[in-house]
Amino acid sequence: MSKRLLACVAALSGIIAAQSERSVWDGVYTTEQSKRGETLYANNCASCHGSALGGGESAPPLSGGEFFANWSGLTLGDLFDRIRVSMPADRPGKLTREQNADVLAFILNVNQFPPGKTELEHQSEVLKQIKFEAEKPKK
Amino acid sequence: MRKNETGWRIAFQKALLASVTLFIALAYAQQPSTKNGEWPHYTADLKGTKYSPLDQINASNFNKLEVAWRFKTDNLGTRPEYKLEGTPIMVKGVLYTTAGTRRSVVALDPKTGELMWVYSLREGQRAAIAPRQLSGRGLSYWTDGNGDDRVLFVTTGYRLIALNAHTGQPISGFGKSGMVDLKEGMVTGAGQQIDLETGEAGLHSTPLVVKDVVIVGSSFKEGMTVVTHNNTKGLVRAFDVRSGKLLWTFNTIPRPGEFGNETWENGSWSTNGNTGVWTQMTVDEDLGLVYLPVESPTSDFYGGERPGDNLFGESLVCVDLKTGKRKWHFQVVHHAIWDYDLSSAPILADINVDGKAIKAVALPSKESYLYVFDRVTGKPVWPIEERPVPQSDVPGEKTSPTQPFPTKPPAYGRNFLKIPDDLIDFTPQLRAQAKDAVARYKTGPMFLPPIVGNSNLLGALNLGNASGGTNWPGAGYDPETHIVYAQAHQSALFPISLRTPPQGFSDIHYVMGRNDTDFRVSEGPGFGSAADAPQPKRAPAPAAPAAAPAGGLTVQGLSIVKPPYGVISAIDLDRGDLKWQVPYGETPDAVRNNPALKGMNLPNTGQPGSVGLVVTKTLVILGDSQVTTTPTHPRGAMLRAYDKGTGKEVGAVYMPAPQSGSPMTYMVDGRQYIVVAVSGGAYSGEYIAYALPPEE
Repeated sequence: MSKRLLACVAALSGIIAAQSERSVWDGVYTTEQSKRGETLYANNCASCHGSALGGGESAPPLSGGEFFANWSGLTLGDLFDRIRVSMPADRPGKLTREQNADVLAFILNVNQFPPGKTELEHQSEVLKQIKFEAEKPKK
Repeated sequence: MRKNETGWRIAFQKALLASVTLFIALAYAQQPSTKNGEWPHYTADLKGTKYSPLDQINASNFNKLEVAWRFKTDNLGTRPEYKLEGTPIMVKGVLYTTAGTRRSVVALDPKTGELMWVYSLREGQRAAIAPRQLSGRGLSYWTDGNGDDRVLFVTTGYRLIALNAHTGQPISGFGKSGMVDLKEGMVTGAGQQIDLETGEAGLHSTPLVVKDVVIVGSSFKEGMTVVTHNNTKGLVRAFDVRSGKLLWTFNTIPRPGEFGNETWENGSWSTNGNTGVWTQMTVDEDLGLVYLPVESPTSDFYGGERPGDNLFGESLVCVDLKTGKRKWHFQVVHHAIWDYDLSSAPILADINVDGKAIKAVALPSKESYLYVFDRVTGKPVWPIEERPVPQSDVPGEKTSPTQPFPTKPPAYGRNFLKIPDDLIDFTPQLRAQAKDAVARYKTGPMFLPPIVGNSNLLGALNLGNASGGTNWPGAGYDPETHIVYAQAHQSALFPISLRTPPQGFSDIHYVMGRNDTDFRVSEGPGFGSAADAPQPKRAPAPAAPAAAPAGGLTVQGLSIVKPPYGVISAIDLDRGDLKWQVPYGETPDAVRNNPALKGMNLPNTGQPGSVGLVVTKTLVILGDSQVTTTPTHPRGAMLRAYDKGTGKEVGAVYMPAPQSGSPMTYMVDGRQYIVVAVSGGAYSGEYIAYALPPEE
C-alpha cells in the first residue's frame, strides 16, 4: 500500500472516528429546526409532557435531571426511535421522521444544547452516531 | 320404626353437614398463601401487606443475585410498552401477569419464564379510547380448591374476564362467554347508562377476589382539563366469581336517600362524576369487611360545580362484604381540589397500642400521612384533628374551612413546601436562586387552594399532592413486628393554576392552565396508547404559538427542593412513630455531576418518584426510579435491599432500566425468586426474575 493510500485511509478513519464521537454538544441541529419543532411539540406533546417539558402526573419530563438520567449515555438515535415508535401516545406514528427530528431539535434546544449549522438528520442510523451526554465532554 | 327413620335421617343430615363443612374447610385450607412460598395476590395477600416470610434471599447474599429469566413484553400488542406496571402473582407453580399494550394475560413457568399460554382480547375502538390503557397492574386468582382454578382481570376496554388458569381459555359459565361488560350499569347524570363502546370507564388495578366474590373498582380520564363535570360516576361492584352475576353495587356518589347524598349541595350529585376506586382494595375475610380507597370527584382542581364535602370523594369507606352496605367511612380530604385521591391499598394490621389489641387499617397516602383507624369501628387509633386551612378565592369555589390532620404517626414525607427551610441549601447562591424562583408562586401550608394564575403569580405551589408521597404502588407491612414500610416522593412540587376553558370546550367554569397562555388539553398517562389506538394519516401540524415559558422550579438544573428527594420510612404501628427513615435509592446523575456542586461532598440525596416494595422476613426490597451511571455500576438502575431493622442498604443488584412495577417474591422447588417489572426511557417493558446462583 502506498504512503498516499495509507494517508487517505488514515484520514478517512479520522473522519469516521470524529463523526462517531459527535455528541449533542456539537451543534447537531439548527435554530430554525427547533422553532419548527416547538410548534409540533405544542400540538402533539405538551398535553402530556407539559408546555414547559416538565412532565405530567405520569408522563416523564423532557428536560432536567430525570430526562438526562433516562437518556445520558445513549444516543440521539435511541431517543429518536423511542419517539418514533411510541409517540405521540395517543397517535403513535402520526409524525413523519422529519417532524420527529424537528421535535427532537426543540427538546435539545430547551435543554440548552447548542444549535449548529446543519439540521438534525432523520435517519435512526445516523442519529445513533450522536451521543446524548448530559455533561459536556472534555476535549 | 318411624322414630328410627327420623333418627337415621338426623344422623345422616349431621354426617352430611360435617362432610360439607370438612370439604369446605379443606378447600379453603388449600387456598394459595405466602406461607407456602406463593404470592397469590397483587399485594401478596388480601390484607395489602406485600409481605412474604421467605428468607433464602437475605442480607448475606443479596449481592449474589443473578438473572434467572427475563420476559420481554414488546410483542403483546401492536407496539412496545414503556410503562410496564404489573406485579405478577404466583400460584401452584405458575406465574400469571398482564403485559403489553394489548393488556394480554400470560402464564409463565416461574422457574424459567417460559410462556405457557397467552390470552388477549381485541376490543377495537373501545380499548383505543379507554381512560386507563396499557398493561395495567395485574390480575387475580380464584380456586374452589377442587380443580376449578381461574384467573380474573379487567381489560383495557373495561370488561371483567375469567380465564381457566390451566388453559387460558375464557370460562364459558362466567358472564357472557367468560366476560362481564363492566360498562353496563355505569351512568352519568342522575342515571343515564353510558355508551358501551364510547362511554368513559376503565381500570388499571386488579380485581379483588375473596371467597367466592370478585370486587371491581372504576376509574376515568384525568381531571385536569375536563370536557364536562358530568362525566361517568364511579362505583364499586361485587360479582359472583362462579357466574359473573352482580351481587351488589356501592355508589361512591350517594344517590338520594343514601348516606352522604346531602354532602353534594344543590343536588350536585346528579351533575358530577368520577369518585371511583382506581387503586387496590383490601378485605378482612374474617370480619367480612371491604376497604375502599376512593378517588377525587370531577374535576381534580376545581369543585365549584359541586359545593359541599362530596362524600365519598377522597374517603376510606368500609363496606360489608356480603351486601356492599356502608359500615363506616372517613373522609381524608373534604371537598377535594388537590388531586390527593386515595392512592394506595389500605393495610390491615393487628396491632397493640398502649396494651390494647386493635384490629387496625392503615392508609398510606400522597400526603405522606398514614391514616390509622380501628377497622371495625372506623374510629381513628390516634386523634385526627380538624384544623383550619387556607380558603379559595377562585370564583364559585367553596373550600372546606377545615381539613383532617393526623396527630400520629408523624408525616413520613414532606407534604408542603416550608419556606425557606425546604429550599435547596447546597450553597447560599442556590438557596437565593430558589427563593427567587418560588417568589413567582403563591406558597403556604398544606391544602393551599388553586388560584387563577397569571404571568406574575404562576400558581399555588403545592407539594405532596398529585404525584407526591405514596402513590399507586402503595406500601408494605410486617405482620410480625407491626411495622409499615413506605416509600415517599418528597420533592413532587405541583403548582396549580386555573383558567376559564375556551368557549365550547367544557361546561365546567375552570380548568387547569393560565388565561394568559395558550390552552392545552392535559391527557392522562398512556391515554390513547392501547394496541388498537388509531394511527391516522400523517399531516403537517397546524401552526401554533410557542410553548409556554418554563415554570422555573429548578435552579442550575437542580430541584428548588432540598434533598432527600425520596425516602423510605419504617413506621411502628404499635407506637405511632417513625422507627427509621433513610433516603431512597442513590443520588441522581444530574445532581452528582452538577457543575454547581463540583468539589462538594454530597450526601445521598435519594431519588424522586414513587415505587413499590416487597417486605420479606428480613429485608425491604425496592428498585430505583431513575437510571444512574456510577463508578460502581454501569448505566442502569439498581434493585436494592434494605435491612428491615435499621434501613441500612445491605445489597443491590443491577437492572437495565428503572423499576416500573412493584416487585414480588416466591419460592419454587426450594429456590426463591424476586420478579420486578422494568421499563422507561429507551427500555421497553420487561419482567426480570432474580434468584441466587444454583450452587448457593
